[in-house]
Amino acid sequence: MTTSDEAVAVLTVEAPPVARERSRWRLALPVGVLAIPMLAFLTYFFFYPALALLFSSIQTQDSRGIIGRPFTLAHYARLVNVELYARVLWTTLRISIITSALATVLAYPVALVMVKSRPMVTRVITLIVIAPLIVSVVVRGYGWQLVLQNGPKGMLNWILMTLHVVDAPVSVLYTETAVVIGSLHVFFPMMVLPLASALGKIDPNLEDAARMLGAPWWKVFLRVTLPLSMPGFVAGFTLVFSLTAGSFVIPAILGGASAVMLGNLIEQQIFVVYDWPFGAAIAVVLVGLVLAVNGVSMWLLEGRRLRRPD
Amino acid sequence: MDERFSGFGAFILYAITAGMMLFILAPLLLVMAASVSDSYFVTFPPQGFTLKWYAKVLQDRDFLEAMRLSILLALGTTVGSLLFGVPAAFALVRGHFVGLAAIKGFLLSPLIFPALITGLALLQVLNKLGSTDARLNLLIGHIVVTSPYVIRTVVTSLQLVDENLEDAARTLGAGRLRTFWRVTLPQIASGVAAGGLFAFMVSFDNYPVTMWLANSEYTPVPLVLMRQLVNVFDPSVPAMSTIIILMAMVGVLLLEKLVGLRRALAA
Repeated sequence: MTTSDEAVAVLTVEAPPVARERSRWRLALPVGVLAIPMLAFLTYFFFYPALALLFSSIQTQDSRGIIGRPFTLAHYARLVNVELYARVLWTTLRISIITSALATVLAYPVALVMVKSRPMVTRVITLIVIAPLIVSVVVRGYGWQLVLQNGPKGMLNWILMTLHVVDAPVSVLYTETAVVIGSLHVFFPMMVLPLASALGKIDPNLEDAARMLGAPWWKVFLRVTLPLSMPGFVAGFTLVFSLTAGSFVIPAILGGASAVMLGNLIEQQIFVVYDWPFGAAIAVVLVGLVLAVNGVSMWLLEGRRLRRPD
Repeated sequence: MDERFSGFGAFILYAITAGMMLFILAPLLLVMAASVSDSYFVTFPPQGFTLKWYAKVLQDRDFLEAMRLSILLALGTTVGSLLFGVPAAFALVRGHFVGLAAIKGFLLSPLIFPALITGLALLQVLNKLGSTDARLNLLIGHIVVTSPYVIRTVVTSLQLVDENLEDAARTLGAGRLRTFWRVTLPQIASGVAAGGLFAFMVSFDNYPVTMWLANSEYTPVPLVLMRQLVNVFDPSVPAMSTIIILMAMVGVLLLEKLVGLRRALAA
């Protein structure tokens, strides 16, 4: 069109390096523009709704269900002060922490075997660990309902009684233990994958060196492998904790009335009681909990505070 | 396992790993066994063999209707999250602008936000907007949840693209679109496909967002299954569950073929 455009075109042919710099510079704006639809979509349907929810958690709902002034912190106070609700908060924390801790202890061996085995073994373990991740949580909860069934016809009880571990059937279903077992099953891959990836990055020469200097296997693990795998542990623990704390399906299927978690309480407040501000306040507490754990984890990972000083 | 890793330590590792593999498979295998066992109540060990529960499921209008809805919803979600996600991934990898890291964090943030609350917050806003079409609401909610997966997989594969090939195409006179279509896209095709497959599977199985946005007229499969197993007694639930497990297995194998499972999930 214009002479300057033609000049650019000529330059492109005659002096590639300059043209390349120039074209990068010209590309910068259009390429950034490509993110705008996604940004707009998420701002409108994710960011704004989250803020609106936060806002309604400090407002009051009148008898017609309309949410407005006065502003109040009463809903938060209610969550902490009413024993029934405070118990749900503690149950959620307890189940999340126990599940993440158990997942850590059990995922280390699996991740180690996954990383250090022959390719075929690694492939099979990876497939078994990952495949259930894609099966609906409802189906997996149902599977555990069948395994843990109270009474002599359940799989667990049948095994325990056949092996004469117990004489009478145990009742695990509809307890916190059942919820921990179910959550462990659902979120275990989230612990194994980051751990395996961290373990895979460790230079095997370091472990060899420790071994050659006479360290027994457990000392090699404690002094070399474990400290170097900390980033994977932190990432996995954060994922398992966050996902467990925010779960609804597993406690609904396996917990019954004795292991109600925050997610179930929120659903009840919104769908049964229609108390939006209180439901929103519980939601904000749940989000705060998850974001706090994620924040600590990012601080640990990015600041490289995980390196041992010696 | 090689010789660097032997003795008592190795024995413990193998034992725990084998135990965990059993722990992971047991409930799924039990569901599959129950789906062909000939008893009204699920018992252990399973008894008899029958396919009558499958016959019952395939005539169950509620379940088939839910299946149709879930598949259409997952397809729509896949298309939507690709349309939004692929260009966004492009901007994140190729762009040089202020606040790039912050924008990346923002675009991926639905991944760490509890999905249950994403759905609840969206429900409140959609209520206020007067958006009552559950299908549209579900589509919006599912795109919010699945698009970060698409962005993540496409970003990973874009980072592996050789930019010199694009420069060569441009130097040889190809336009920007043509270069994208003939040079860039073939290189990221498996990443885009994996992202799309991921979006499909996440949408199909999603419960925490779906539970807020569905209604009695439009109820996707996970909600129907939950209703059947919590509220009413239905002996065909194991058969329904097995169908879902088998569909997931097909998805897993496809994903493994496309990019490799570990890369697809741990990226």
